[in-house]
Amino acid sequence: MAATRERPSAREIFITLEYGPVPESHACALAWLDTQDRNLGHYVNGKWLKPEHRNSVPCQDPITGESLATCLQAQAEDVAVAVEAAGTAFENWSGLPGASRAQHLLRLAKMIQKHQRLLWTLESLVSGRAVREVRDGDVPLAQQLLQYHAVQAYTQEEELAGWEPVGVIGLILSPMFSFLEMMYRICPALAVGCTVVVLVPPASPTPLLLAQLAGELGSFPGILNVISGPASLGPVLASHPRVQKVTFCGSVEEGRALRRTLAGKGAELGLALGADSLLVLTEAADVDSAVEGVVDAAWSDRSAGGLRLLIQESVWEETMRRLQERMARLRGGRGLDGAVDMGTRGAAARALAQHYVHEARSQGAQVFQAGDSPFFPPTLVSDLPPASPCTQAEVPWPVVVASPFRTAKEALAMANGTPRGASASVWSERLGQALELGYGLQVGTVWINAHGLRNAEVPTGGCKESGSSWHGGPDGLYEYLRPSGTPARLSYFSENLNYDTFGLAVPSTLPAGPEIGPSPATPYGLFIGGRFQAPGARSSRPIKDSQGNLHGYVAEGGAKDIRGAVEAAHQAVSGWVGQSPGARATLLWALATALERRESALASRLERHGMELKDAKVEVELSTRQLRAWGARAQAQGHVLQVAELKGPVLRLREPLGVLAIVCPDEWPLLAFVSLLAAALAHGNTVVMVPSGACPIPALEVCQDMAALLPAGLVNVVTGDRDHLTRCLALHQDVQALWYFGSAQGSQFVEWASAGNLKPVWVNRGCPQAWDQEAKGAGAELGLRAARTKALWLPMGD
Amino acid sequence: MQRRYIVKKHENIHGSINGRGRKTTWWIYLSWISKIQVNQPAVLRRAEQIQARRTVKKEWQAAWLLKAVTFIDLTALSGDDTSSNIQRLCYKAKYPIREDLLKSLNMHDKGLTTAAVCVYPARVCDAVKALKASGCTIPVASVATGFPSGQTHLKTRLEEIRLAVEDGATEIDVVINRTLVLTGQWEALYDEIRQFRKACGEAHLKTILATGELGSLTNVYKASMIAMMAGSDFIKTSTGKETVNATFPVAIVMLRAIRDFFWKTGNKVGFKPAGGIRSAKDSLAWLSLVKEELGDEWLTPELFRIGASTLLSDIERQIYHHVTGRYAAYHDLPMS
Repeated sequence: MAATRERPSAREIFITLEYGPVPESHACALAWLDTQDRNLGHYVNGKWLKPEHRNSVPCQDPITGESLATCLQAQAEDVAVAVEAAGTAFENWSGLPGASRAQHLLRLAKMIQKHQRLLWTLESLVSGRAVREVRDGDVPLAQQLLQYHAVQAYTQEEELAGWEPVGVIGLILSPMFSFLEMMYRICPALAVGCTVVVLVPPASPTPLLLAQLAGELGSFPGILNVISGPASLGPVLASHPRVQKVTFCGSVEEGRALRRTLAGKGAELGLALGADSLLVLTEAADVDSAVEGVVDAAWSDRSAGGLRLLIQESVWEETMRRLQERMARLRGGRGLDGAVDMGTRGAAARALAQHYVHEARSQGAQVFQAGDSPFFPPTLVSDLPPASPCTQAEVPWPVVVASPFRTAKEALAMANGTPRGASASVWSERLGQALELGYGLQVGTVWINAHGLRNAEVPTGGCKESGSSWHGGPDGLYEYLRPSGTPARLSYFSENLNYDTFGLAVPSTLPAGPEIGPSPATPYGLFIGGRFQAPGARSSRPIKDSQGNLHGYVAEGGAKDIRGAVEAAHQAVSGWVGQSPGARATLLWALATALERRESALASRLERHGMELKDAKVEVELSTRQLRAWGARAQAQGHVLQVAELKGPVLRLREPLGVLAIVCPDEWPLLAFVSLLAAALAHGNTVVMVPSGACPIPALEVCQDMAALLPAGLVNVVTGDRDHLTRCLALHQDVQALWYFGSAQGSQFVEWASAGNLKPVWVNRGCPQAWDQEAKGAGAELGLRAARTKALWLPMGD
Repeated sequence: MQRRYIVKKHENIHGSINGRGRKTTWWIYLSWISKIQVNQPAVLRRAEQIQARRTVKKEWQAAWLLKAVTFIDLTALSGDDTSSNIQRLCYKAKYPIREDLLKSLNMHDKGLTTAAVCVYPARVCDAVKALKASGCTIPVASVATGFPSGQTHLKTRLEEIRLAVEDGATEIDVVINRTLVLTGQWEALYDEIRQFRKACGEAHLKTILATGELGSLTNVYKASMIAMMAGSDFIKTSTGKETVNATFPVAIVMLRAIRDFFWKTGNKVGFKPAGGIRSAKDSLAWLSLVKEELGDEWLTPELFRIGASTLLSDIERQIYHHVTGRYAAYHDLPMS
């Protein structure tokens, strides 16, 4: 009888009409593990690497806890071996014509196709995610990624001329991210000619399998190396001198820590942090479909994180009823069952969810859990007080936190009022409202009336604390490229730099003797909010010319002045963003004309700083040319993508960063200032600038024209001690990005301090740049960094 | 709430109880349909998902397939129908699955039949006679009201219903007037269906929305709501004669309308997809669709029907395979 109870007869099922188990065989996954004697090492240089005397951890079935295999934990020397292999492979791989790399990527796509069953059963078995999501979502997308990037590799010589691969990439994945996130990053890296070392968390065999598949293609074994090890190994890989770029996917706090560790170590850092998402449900929505959107976002094993759900108050009751009704029908179970909505994650994810729900309850939230799940059930949290810590915290899988809003404007304020900025969906049948919200949300991806759509051709990324790196689409490629001829990124780390005291105190200035030479009255003060203001410290700094004679005094700006400048810049943001690119171009061109009129004055200023008059004139001319060029480029931004599997367009928008702080280089005091300014303004940013320390006066001259031409607060220029001002800007939480061109120590400090709000930074590592050469100083890289991308998905149909 | 009574001289303003003790509705809330918006791409995605996320195997599959048999309105709607093939249809309705196959599933004593047989009005007499001769109580459904286009005069459409009921049909599948939907005359549509309802008397009213010709999913929702407010016992997707028949996206919208109507009034209205449902696998997907969107209470012949003609033979083939482990030859199973 016990047997029949376990397996009901058709006669019984005829009455109950229940669902039965639909087990997917995982025999092939086990057979693959057997080929490694159930002991997984690392896959380096086309071979399995199983060093002796290493700790190992068990790889467990998250449901039964049964041990599937043991995995060796890498140590620092294993990392070194892998980086060495990648470095050697880079010589060959990067030298290949793009067409050959394209061929290789296509062969890998074929390889994945041939072994897809193994891939999806292994991934589902180990991760516990529903096999349907891996089979129908991840694996086809992995192939699509390879195919898309093969095309990019094929056209690289034409489309990406002037750019070269950065070198060896260190990719660090944390446990909540799947092999697909790895594919999203290795595909563009390999396509453009980089080679990769991936550090995966212990007990993640799928990336190892992928590396094996790539390795078994025969040629170029070292281009993809996968080692598994503890999180503590991340900094070891990241600070390896041969690693030129580090890409990290993980939690916000880990990302912050890595940002600090890597300050000054040379490698560029791309962060993709956190996994929760946002859904805005307006009263004009198809509520039932929006509820399915919530399921897609949080309860279907597609995303690694939870969801913040904003519901318009007028449809709150209706939506909650529908949500709860829908939750009751969700089926949880074994990931390898063909008829479940959700599998389960490992113990760590469950503990995280449990902790969050417990905290939310204690902070006064209502918690609703339903659904037929033997594991952690789908959870809906509501009535969380807006000020409670859980409202601000990242929402973990599989939790949805619902809060009401009154108007679309309020929804925007609430959505943008958190430090996260990865993805969001907007549900409204009113086109105008949907677009208003879609453009207004500060996130990397917005879906209108859909959630969680993905495609290899669409750039995906984020802003704010979600990190500002990109994967997929054209933006993903630039993550692994640098302008041709840029020197390799070497460590410039200084042990002696004290982060606590760097730039803290301003040396006092005393009268420095008589002003010598023709002294036209230069405007005195800090240019803030459209006019010259006296500095808060009420002191000045002397500027000497090339002969060492006193040229004049400039104002000594301080922390309060920076605060005022950032405030003024913020006030100017909405007006400037609202301007059409055409209007921005007009203003830049007007500024160029004003600069031409001022040519002789500017040239004589530069001449006093030791330039030949001829060169000074060239610098002024180049500066006007930069203003005009960026004005023209302002008009050609963003484009429309047509992607497979979606009826309707995806808009690739280039949005301003917000308030951009720029510490200008000492070299090219006018040209660098103007080039940086022009690029920033053309892309819709407002700026706070610190001009050249040795020769700030030409910049102040330009401010006179800006006072007359530009809206107040659009450009703010603060003179003073550069280290001190840099410190204030780098630690300012409401500055959205910082470009620093100065000393090596300053660069290191900026990188370290940016961990605070994870603002994107661009530093020169203490190396002067040739600003008069398009490729080096003022070229495409400037445009790339002056704006961020947003992908706006617009599915259509009636 | 905007509530407008449409009171006809033959109707009782305080309502009435129909034959099955179900309270019929006789008012029209235009606000129930005025604000509704259906997002087509999102519904399409849901339709794709639902087929990928639920499946049944082994015993479950066999049991679900047998259940599906009990939902079938076994249908013959051809110009060349005669009493002989209607007779065969009725026999098949009574004995849908080979006796020995049922026996090995221990289901032979359940009196398994299809839910009804569905024919043209002129064939109702044949069907009633054949079923009576074989001594069974399977209801006879008749299409009516100018099936399939509905483009005849209201007077003859109503007369058609009355004649079919006189001949012994206890379920009437009426087609709605698509013109009224496409021109937004919701009250007139309500009015017409009310008259169909009246003409049916004690017979079940199944309202065919002909969704392939309604233009948009939003119209499908609105037409469903109107049909239910006017007192339909079932709403049905299509006649089987349109170019687009029963599809999952349309069904999702209709099922959501049924749920909304239930939440607003407490009345359960049935659902009948028809047209193009040919494979056993399809029928399983339809069952899980109803189970997912409305719940188990709707999985009964009183509230769920599948209009089909060839589906039954495919189900029988699958049952044969489940029982014997072999694939059936054409001659292994009786023809319908």
